Order: sequence, then C-alpha cells, then structure tokens
Amino acid sequence: MDRIVQTLVDAVSVGGLYALTALGIGLIFGVMRLINFAHGELIMIAGYAILLMFGLPIWLVAVGALGAALLLALAIERAAFRPIREADPATLLISSFAVSFFLQKTMILFVGSRPKGVDFLPGLAQQIQLAGIRLQLLQIVTIVVSAVLLVGLTWFLKTTRLGLEMRAAAENFRMAQVLGVRANRVIATAFAISSVLAAVVACLFVAQTGLVQPRMGLQLVVIAFVGTVIGGLGCLPGAALGGFLVGAATILLQTLLPPDLRVFREAFVFVAVALVLLFRPQGIIPARGLKERI
Amino acid sequence: MNSDGHTPARTAAAFSGPELLRRLWPLLCLVAIIVLIGIFAELAPTVVQRRITQGLIYLVAVVGLYVFVGNSGVLAFGNVAFMAIGAYVSALLTMSAGAKGIFLPDLPAWLQTAEWAPLAAAGAGGGIAAIVAFVVGYPLMRLSGISAGIATFAILVVTYVVIGNWSSVTGGQNSLMGLPIYVGPWTAVIGALVAVGIAFAYQESRSALLLRASREDEAAAAASGVNVVRHRLAAFVIGAFLSGVSGVLLAHFLGTVRVETFYLDLTFLIIAMLVIGGMGSLTGAVAGAVVIAALTELLRQAEVGVTIGGVSLAAPGGLGDVVLALLMLLIILFRPKGIAGGKEIPWPFRR
Amino acid sequence: MIVAETTTEPLLDLRNIEVRYGAITALRGVDLHVKTGEIVAIVGPNGAGKTSLLSAVAGLVKPVSGSISLSGKSLAPVGLEDIVRHGIALVPEGRNIFASLTVEENLQLGATSRRDSEVNTDIGRFFSTFPILGERRNQPAGLLSGGEQQMLAIARALLSRPKLLMLDEPSLGLAPKIVEQVYVELEKIRDDGITILVVEQNAARAFAVADRAYIMSHGQFALSGTPADLRDNAGFDAAYFGVSMDSESRDGA
Ligand SMILES: Nc1ncnc2c1ncn2[C@@H]1O[C@H](COP(=O)(O)OP(=O)(O)OP(=O)(O)O)[C@@H](O)[C@H]1O
Ligand SMILES: [Mg+2]
Repeated sequence: MDRIVQTLVDAVSVGGLYALTALGIGLIFGVMRLINFAHGELIMIAGYAILLMFGLPIWLVAVGALGAALLLALAIERAAFRPIREADPATLLISSFAVSFFLQKTMILFVGSRPKGVDFLPGLAQQIQLAGIRLQLLQIVTIVVSAVLLVGLTWFLKTTRLGLEMRAAAENFRMAQVLGVRANRVIATAFAISSVLAAVVACLFVAQTGLVQPRMGLQLVVIAFVGTVIGGLGCLPGAALGGFLVGAATILLQTLLPPDLRVFREAFVFVAVALVLLFRPQGIIPARGLKERI
Repeated sequence: MNSDGHTPARTAAAFSGPELLRRLWPLLCLVAIIVLIGIFAELAPTVVQRRITQGLIYLVAVVGLYVFVGNSGVLAFGNVAFMAIGAYVSALLTMSAGAKGIFLPDLPAWLQTAEWAPLAAAGAGGGIAAIVAFVVGYPLMRLSGISAGIATFAILVVTYVVIGNWSSVTGGQNSLMGLPIYVGPWTAVIGALVAVGIAFAYQESRSALLLRASREDEAAAAASGVNVVRHRLAAFVIGAFLSGVSGVLLAHFLGTVRVETFYLDLTFLIIAMLVIGGMGSLTGAVAGAVVIAALTELLRQAEVGVTIGGVSLAAPGGLGDVVLALLMLLIILFRPKGIAGGKEIPWPFRR
Repeated sequence: MIVAETTTEPLLDLRNIEVRYGAITALRGVDLHVKTGEIVAIVGPNGAGKTSLLSAVAGLVKPVSGSISLSGKSLAPVGLEDIVRHGIALVPEGRNIFASLTVEENLQLGATSRRDSEVNTDIGRFFSTFPILGERRNQPAGLLSGGEQQMLAIARALLSRPKLLMLDEPSLGLAPKIVEQVYVELEKIRDDGITILVVEQNAARAFAVADRAYIMSHGQFALSGTPADLRDNAGFDAAYFGVSMDSESRDGA
C-alpha cells in the first residue's frame, strides 16, 4: 500500500513538472506555430541563476531565476524569432533548434559541461508523514506548485484582456491582427509566461536533482515536447494533460516494466508519438479551429 | 532548379554530346571539387588529412539528408539514426571474432564468427539502413511539415535508445573497438563521389522531378495523379542508404563506434551543414559540408593559437560549436536559401 | 455644417492599385472611391480580384504600386494592426469568427482598438437586437449557424465603431431569407452613418441597396455607375460573367 501511494505521488509530481514544461512549449506553439526547442535553455539559464545566487535569501534567488529566464526569452524572441515570424513552421523549427544549440554550446564554452552541485531548498528534502504514509515534502510542493500555476494560467487566459487576445491569436493570428490585436505584444507575453513556467520548473528540478548543467533542459523539453504532440499541438489543456501523462507514464513504466525492458521506456514513448501522429494527428484532445497548418 | 532538359521534348536531345555535357555540368564541377580536395589532402599534414577525411564523410551524410529534404521539401531529423545503423551493422560484420568475443560475448553464433570483407559489409550497412528506412518510412511518409519533423525525430530517439540499451548485440553504452580501419582520404573521396553521383542521378530522374513539383503544392500534385507518398519514400530510402554508408565510413575511419556519437550533436552538425549550404540544391549540400568542415578546422587551429597566448579557451571544439550555431542562425535570418541559393553550378558559356 | 454634405473629398480613395502574388497579378491598376454615407458594391466572377482589393485596403496584402487614402491621408505607412484604429473594419470572406471562443469573447475582440468604457453597453445593445445570440453569449461561436455567424462577424466589425465597413461576400452560403436579413441590417448600419463597401457575387441583392457599383473582371473594373445604369448597360453580362473582351486571350499566348 505504502509503495503504491508513494509511486503514484512520485508519478504525479514528475507529471506536474512535465506538464508545466509542455505548457511552456504549447503556449508558444499556439500563438506562432513555433516548436521552441530553446525552452530547455530557459530552464537551464534559470538553473545557473540559482547556482550563481546561491546563499542569498530564497525569494531573491527565485526572482533572479525568473529574471534570467525572462530576459533570455525576450531576447531570443526579439533576435531570432521575430524576423522570421512569417516563415513556415519547418523553418521556425530549425531555427529554434539552432538557438537551443547555440545557447547550450555558449554555456559550455563559459562554464564547461560538467554538472555543478547546488543544495537548493534543502528543507524540502525531508520526509513527512501524511495519513500514515511517508512522503517527501518536495514532491508535495511540486504537486501543489504545478496545480497553482495551472489554475493561475487558466485564470489569466480566460479572464484577462491579454489572455483573450492570446487565445484569439492562437486560433487565427491574421484575423486577430485585423481586429487590432498587436502581434508583438501577444507573442512577447507568450514568451514571458513560458519563461515564468521555465523558471519554476528550474527551481523544482534543481531542488530535486541538486545539479545544474548546460544540458539540463534538454531531457525535460524532449519529453514534454512529446507530451504536447500527444495532447494535440495548439491545444493548451491537451499540452498540459499530455505532458502530465507522459511524465507520469515514464515513472510508472519505470516501476511496472520488467527490468530488461525498463531501459527502453523512452523508445516506447516515442513510438507512441509516431502512432499518435499517424492515427490521431490532432492529438488526444483535438484543437478546435486549428486548420491544416500542422 | 535546373528546369532545362526536363521536358519530354528535350529528352532525345539530352543524349547528344554538348547537351549531355551541359546537363552533367553541375555534377562534373562537384566531382572536380571533391577530387581537388582529395589531392589537397594528399599534400597536407596528417592532422589536416584526417580532418579532411572526416569532412568528406560528413559530406556523404549531408548529401544523404539532401536527397530527401531537398527534393521533398519535408523536414527530417532522423538521418543520423541511419548513420548509426550503417556503422553498427558494418562494425558487427567486420570485427574480428576475437574482438567480438571480448566485447560482445552474447552474440548469436553466426554473427560471432562473421568476418566480412569491408566492401560487402559497407553494402550491408547501407542496405540495412535503407531497408529500415523503407519499413518506417512506409507509414510515416504520409506526414509533412512539423509532423514529419517530429516523426523523424522519433526515429532518431528510438534508434538511439535501442542501440544504447541492446547490450548483447551493440554493446550498449560502451564503445565497440577494434574495427578494421580502412578509411583514409581516398576512400572518403570515393565515398563522396559515389554519394554525389547517386544524388545527381536521382535528382535528374522522373520520380525526383515529380517530387519537386509536389514540393510547391502537395494538393495539386496529388490531384493530378502524382503519388507523392511513393516518390517521397523513394527519396527517403535513397537518402537513408547514403546516410548508412556515411556511418560505415565514419566507423572505419575512427576504428570504434559509440552510440553517443550518433545523436543530437551530429544531427545538428549535418542539418547545419545543409541549411548553411542551402537545402535547395546538391551544390548547396556539398558547399555546406565543405565550408563548415573548413571553418571548423580553422577555428580549431585558432583555438590552439589562443591558448599559446596564455588565455585558455575552455574545451576543445567549444568555440567551433558556438560559431556553427551562430552561423546557422545568421543564414536562416539573412540568407534563407543558403550559400548556394538553391541553385546548381550554372553552365558558364552562352547557349 | 452644411458644407460636409457637399464636400468633394471621398472617404476612401484608391488610385491605380496593383496587387501581385508571386507571378499572379490579381489587381491591375484599380481606381475606386467611396464617399461618406454611401453603400458601394463591387461585383464580379470568381477570381476577379474582389477579395484582393479589400485585402489591400485592410493591410493584409501590400500593393506593388498605387495609393490608398482615407479622408485624404495615405494609408501606406499604416500597419495591418492599425488599419482598424483608423476607422476601417473588415468582415472577411468566410467570416473568420473565432470558433473556439465564446460569442461574447468574439465581440470583445471586435473592440480591441477602443479605449472608451462603452464597449459593454454596445455589446448589450447588440444582444437585445439579436436575442438569439444574447442567449448563447457564453457558447463557443463555432456552434452558431451560418447566418448567426455572419451576424456575429458584422457585429464584431461594428464594435470597433468604424467609419468604413467592408464586407466580403456577406451572402455566401446563406439561405435567401437570411441574406435578406443581412441586407436589411446593412441598410440600418448605413442609416447610422457608417459608410459601406460590399463585395458580392449576388449582384442582384447588392444592387438593390447600393448607391453605386463597380463590376470587376480580371483584376480591373470593367464598368461602374449606379445600379440602374449598370443593369441597362449592354456590356454588363459580358463583364459580369467574365467572358469579356480583354486580357484572357492575350495572357494565354
Ligand atoms: N494568397 C494568394 N496567393 C496566390 N494567388 C492568390 C492569392 N489570393 C488570391 N490569389 C489569386 O488572385 C486572383 C484574385 O483572387 P481573389 O481572391 O481576389 O478573387 P475574388 O474575386 O475574391 O474571387 P472569389 O469570388 O472566388 O472570392 C485569383 O487568380 C487568385 O487565384
Ligand atoms: Mg473573394
């Protein structure tokens, strides 16, 4: 019984992290049909900000992580993506691949590729008793933070003017512009929100692993990216759900698969991606109003 | 694109002397360039020679990627997976039984004792890559745009995971060592010539012509009875064969294979070479590989120079990667058709 | 005060507009003017270039040559997103409502360019005129019928409080009874002081409300005048059905 609950909590907390990452990717894809590989580097830069500011009060470190991710997000939007906004999605994809690679390699050039240890939020490592079951505080915090962010983002999109404009732009960018919606504002907002998501993921992820390294965002993004595809590109609830499912599934497969198949779990996940593309190209929750484009 | 010589009325004329020369002109130029590179390698110091060899091997891979991407207009991230397949197949078929006994004690008996001749093993490497491409491409070639990009990315990841964990056959994360090292500058030159020849012959074929027509307007091509999926599959399989061969060459150049070699970094390098050269033409593919290989080598030497000055520039190759990524971004932003601008080398004389 | 009635300067003035899509020339030197308070109709066969014309005014395509001005001021430096802020609203071909957003959200988006506080009052007024839409204000707009969507698209455009309303084939795919409703609305809108430029294939219906009309064929205006004049003109059928005297045969060669 204990084991089962612990595994489930583990799956939910990891699923939450991937859901947040998938949302960051899905948000950008929604408004500009760009699959942002460089989202991983937003997480990475926030991770290094934590490393750099370690020792300062925690709220300051968190603000620093957020600031770093935000600045980087706005910078890459401005420098790399805005000039080619009208290009086809394939070009955008290649371009984000290049941005991601550039940021990673630049980081390696300056700080080396070795992981650096940082004991961020050590207080969360302790175990707590909940209804007689021992759980790690960090996992509970991860679940709560993920849930709060999901609710907050939904609130933002559903009730604010900017949120409305973002949803309109995601469905039909040209028409939104005809009505006077400012493309630059909407896209910059999307990047800003995705950087907030990235910074939060970085804090939780660093607290969990205790490590910072140039490639830390890559793994998260690759899996989360799968989640957005499975959930339906261009559909935010789908992205969150897809990210959550894929994240949770990797943990469950890890425990449930026989040991010699366990190592292949990522292969299973990606075969699933190909199957979804072939048989349900719109994802589990098809995005309404999203015509051909993908 | 070289729109001349494609209309049926011209086909007959294509076999007369000057017309044939004109038609083959881009190929002849590329052949000449590659041979010149070979001669240059012959005269260069050993280190440079090795760099050139490696560059030519990458050229084969870039041409393989071009055959699919350039002709179909569909994005692909998976070609390095076919390089991996080629490399591992050839490694397993050529390693000495003794070496295999040490690294891979659990191989099935027939494979354990197999010691094929290099050329046969190379053919098998390319061939199996092509077969795998056919099997996975058959369902996947229906996809285009972003979906195709993701699906081919899935091919890359699945191959990487399978090779990296199928320890009894591939050695898993460990390197396979003791491969016969038979690839030097001239072998690489021959490989590059074969690749360029196949790519050129293919792009002059009717199938490729129809495929390129579909690139502009898939729906219209399908409506006029062109089986886009079939032509795409043909390009995909040929491209995978060339990628496989390139993997074979790389394996027998280095003498070892390691699964890490065939993942994101190499994928990025090959794609960057094609994007920078220009994915619209074979000339672009070759130009990208040559320019980037040369540039990387220059940067490497520059790094050495800087270290002498007392300033250490971190890990070797670090700067090269950054410059490569930056260059690729600049090309996408300012010259989206690449160095070659999507054209082949033009016939220099007036008609 | 009285001078405004007789002022000669048109609200919208297009001179020698040429639009190309790659090798295709969609408009070859078009002159058009719309005076304040008019309903002007443009009719013509498929592919004549009607949508291209509205797109050029709305900033969706950039003409390769020619000038577009609103109340005498050039629109050339005005970006796509700012056209609506200058008082031009577009109801595009196929309506392009946001299917996944609610009816009310679609209307809110129509008021994106406004800064005043009367948006909700305007929306309320629309809902009381069209109670069917009012009842469904919180439903996704994609669930509305074609006619309801057309009304929504028009209301959305009006919410920017435009000087000039442009509509691209408002009768497309609608039953005759609904078309009737739409045109009745257009006349009311004109009576409210909004100038209208409407593109139609349904020439008969458009002519019934228009003060003036242009007939377009092969990217040019073949004829223009009052609807009555045009109906009597011998060239009308030829121009309208696109079997006309000019370009086609020349281009084919
Ligand atoms: N985005 C585009 N790219 C290429 N060609 C286009 C594009 N839009 C329109 N065209 C071409 O321009 C010409 C005029 O098209 P347009 O849509 O303006 O005609 P239309 O009069 O609105 O036709 P319809 O009544 O069918 O809506 C046509 O030949 C069309 O094929
Ligand atoms: Mg039209």
